[in-house]
Amino acid sequence: MRWRSFLQRNNTKNNQAENFSIELVKDLNENIKNLENLLGKPDDLVVRKFRVRGTNHRCAIAYIEGLVDTQYIRNQVMSHIQLDEDLNQIPDQKQALFETLYEEIMSATAVKKKKTLDDLSKGILSGSTIFYLDGLAEVFVISSQGWEKRQIQEPVSETLIRGPREGFVENIRTNIVLIRRYIQDPNLRFETHKVGRRSKKNLVVSYVDGVIHPDIVQEVNRRLQTIDMDDAPETGFIEQWIEDSFLSPFPQMMNTERPDKVAASLLQGKVAILLDGTPFVLIAPTTLGNSLQSPEDYYERWTVGSLLRVLRYIAAFIAVFLPAVYVALVSFHPGMIPSDLAFSIAASREGVPFTPFVEALLMSGTMELLREAGARLPKTIGQTIGIVGGLVIGDAAVRAGVVSPIMVIVVALNAIASFSLPAYSIAIAFRIILFGILILSGILGLYGIILGYIMINIHIVNLKSIGVPYSTPYAPTFYRDWMDLFVRLPITVFTKRPKYMKPMDKSSANKGDH
Amino acid sequence: MTGFQYADEQLSERELMIALPSFMIGVEALSMPREVASATTGLDGVFSVIAAGVVVAGLTWWTAKFVSKFPRESFLTYASRIVTKPIACILSLFFIFLFVAIAAYQVRSLADIGKIYLFDQTPIEVASLSFLLIIVYAVGGSRAGIMRINMLFIPFIIIFAFVVFFFNINWFEVKHVTPLFQTDINGYIKGLGRSIFFGGFIILWFYIAYVENPKDTPKMVTKGILIPLVLFTILYVGCIAAYSNVVTSNLIYPTIELAKMIEIPGGILERFDSIFFVIWIMAIFNTAAMAYDLAVLGIQMLLKRKGKKTIVLSIAPVVFFIAMLPRNLLEVSTFGEVTGYVSFYYSIAVLLLFVIIAKFRGVKGNG
Repeated sequence: MRWRSFLQRNNTKNNQAENFSIELVKDLNENIKNLENLLGKPDDLVVRKFRVRGTNHRCAIAYIEGLVDTQYIRNQVMSHIQLDEDLNQIPDQKQALFETLYEEIMSATAVKKKKTLDDLSKGILSGSTIFYLDGLAEVFVISSQGWEKRQIQEPVSETLIRGPREGFVENIRTNIVLIRRYIQDPNLRFETHKVGRRSKKNLVVSYVDGVIHPDIVQEVNRRLQTIDMDDAPETGFIEQWIEDSFLSPFPQMMNTERPDKVAASLLQGKVAILLDGTPFVLIAPTTLGNSLQSPEDYYERWTVGSLLRVLRYIAAFIAVFLPAVYVALVSFHPGMIPSDLAFSIAASREGVPFTPFVEALLMSGTMELLREAGARLPKTIGQTIGIVGGLVIGDAAVRAGVVSPIMVIVVALNAIASFSLPAYSIAIAFRIILFGILILSGILGLYGIILGYIMINIHIVNLKSIGVPYSTPYAPTFYRDWMDLFVRLPITVFTKRPKYMKPMDKSSANKGDH
Repeated sequence: MTGFQYADEQLSERELMIALPSFMIGVEALSMPREVASATTGLDGVFSVIAAGVVVAGLTWWTAKFVSKFPRESFLTYASRIVTKPIACILSLFFIFLFVAIAAYQVRSLADIGKIYLFDQTPIEVASLSFLLIIVYAVGGSRAGIMRINMLFIPFIIIFAFVVFFFNINWFEVKHVTPLFQTDINGYIKGLGRSIFFGGFIILWFYIAYVENPKDTPKMVTKGILIPLVLFTILYVGCIAAYSNVVTSNLIYPTIELAKMIEIPGGILERFDSIFFVIWIMAIFNTAAMAYDLAVLGIQMLLKRKGKKTIVLSIAPVVFFIAMLPRNLLEVSTFGEVTGYVSFYYSIAVLLLFVIIAKFRGVKGNG
């Protein structure tokens, strides 16, 4: 298809790795000069030349300032070579010395021997320290990453009243540790990919082997192989590259900052995609039903959880349809409104110059502006937007006779409903659909709304997320999974993993009846 | 290890079980009480409806049983084996024509009924064209998608049918129902004939080919008949009990009129009939989309080389043209009756023809 080739979805990994595998030479100074030239003689490249204590062997370390834990290098590498008193059995031969250093002297834990300038530059740029020994065309690449990290904090984008307060951070190692602490299972897997031609970032695919259906992992890995871009600053790039349909307003992968959510999804037989440099982790596949679940549904008792679920389904409908239904009723089917209410609506609309459709469009547009402004402003000024916005759309507009008070109620209710959805990405998708439905309703009334509803359904049943239908478990129907859909039944009845994920290990609890 | 399959061109037996009632419940359910009531007295028509349901269930079971002997074979393939290829082609051509007619009828009457209950300003052409475009969008997707939409919509339809029945209970009067058994035998048969239009088992000729292992299919689809049977029965009982036989037989769309009487407690909305019809659009959509899909499927079967999208787009004008042919409500209703009866009897005729010839020529299935 022309579209796909335009979007470069069919590319396979071709010239991803820039190849400059120049072999190292034996001379120390030459090697260091090569490295400096390759990196463009940066200021933050630290090169320290010295001698192995009590010998004439010259050696050097090189690293980039700020990426490296200097304390660690001093304690585990330098102090042994420079200060140790009992270095009496230093062999004279270079190669033997190199081996002795590796086997006996250096106490750093992750040390690799490398021979090309390419490996060396990759290492030094990712925070390793290079150890040269004069006269040898081989170096040590010592893992010594240590840069400023953000502390683990409560996730800002997803807050819960009850539940763990830990959130992911930008460091992928910390994130992996967070997941490992939730699932202490030997089958928990982390497969590493490198993404970005130039950024060379670590991307980790995590899943629980033996639970997940192997085809899902295979498909995710296959799609990840096709990624070809300079840099992937956020998992959003990954999501957009590997999603099933780029035309759909619906998010086909969930993103979260919560390790507990990721752990729960992994145990359901899903894949988590972590990327270095972002606290947002992708969960795939995901379905429409998943988007309306929140971890809190499970942390509270089941009655509370079920109430929240039902509430959220109602909220989802209000978020998409309310202004459209109001417009349809007022301008196309006034007979359907009870007469008392119809009179009060008519009275409140007196003097309003616009048709209900234009009014709704104006107000919903203003709502979007307010939401966007509130999200962009610094927290301290963000409050102001709320007050100003509330005054502008709530009071002044009505008094000026531009909109009717009942429209304000409708739009406010609609906005509140869309904010009560647990996932921001699905809430935004609903806001997009809202405008589509609003326009249909403005043209055809209730008939337009139902046509829009049918269209959404057609779209959802044909949409897939990594091969899993987006509409499951509603249809294809898995009645057993409905226990955790519109309501959330008591935790003790969930002895099976969700059927729609076709997990390999079907039961999640052992009740003695396999 | 099972493969990770949500294969899009295959149907599960449960999907087929839901497809059948989804196909049967369409525009006809709205006018059905009038047709049956005019042939019978009192509540007697309900026996005709139930009898028709039993007859249809039997025919459905028989058709399913026969077709499931040829698993994963398209209609053309097994029909060619039974009655030679040219005749099979002619038979499928007529099937395609019928499906196009059914789709066109649903599209047209949706616009007509909508003009009465929902949009009095919108021209019929606009209403039908927009509906047709939605159908084209659905059929252009995957076949499994249409089945999934059936699954998604059928609960709404069942729930609203029951709401219409139960919210009307305080309007029910015994004098509308009694006396029972006053109809003569001719009336019963006439009523049976008029309620038999739910001959939706015509879809089985084509859809069973997409069921992976049609062992239990006959049992499942027969169970599926229960849904329209119960629905039509309660709708009929509701109409007669609330409006009496005479009034029912003079209303054009008694089922919607039944919904009109409902008063929603708390008075949030009035005119429930419009809401009921809005929901019923989903049912009409299911019927029309499946008929359209079957027409596409039939053409695909005959012309193997054409792509699906081309066929879907090229029969849309034909469907629209046929839908616009009837000049008034009366012609629309005649058009609907004729398509209903023809598809019902044609399906039976094909079944009898196949059963007899298969026995005569000794054609055995491989299932």
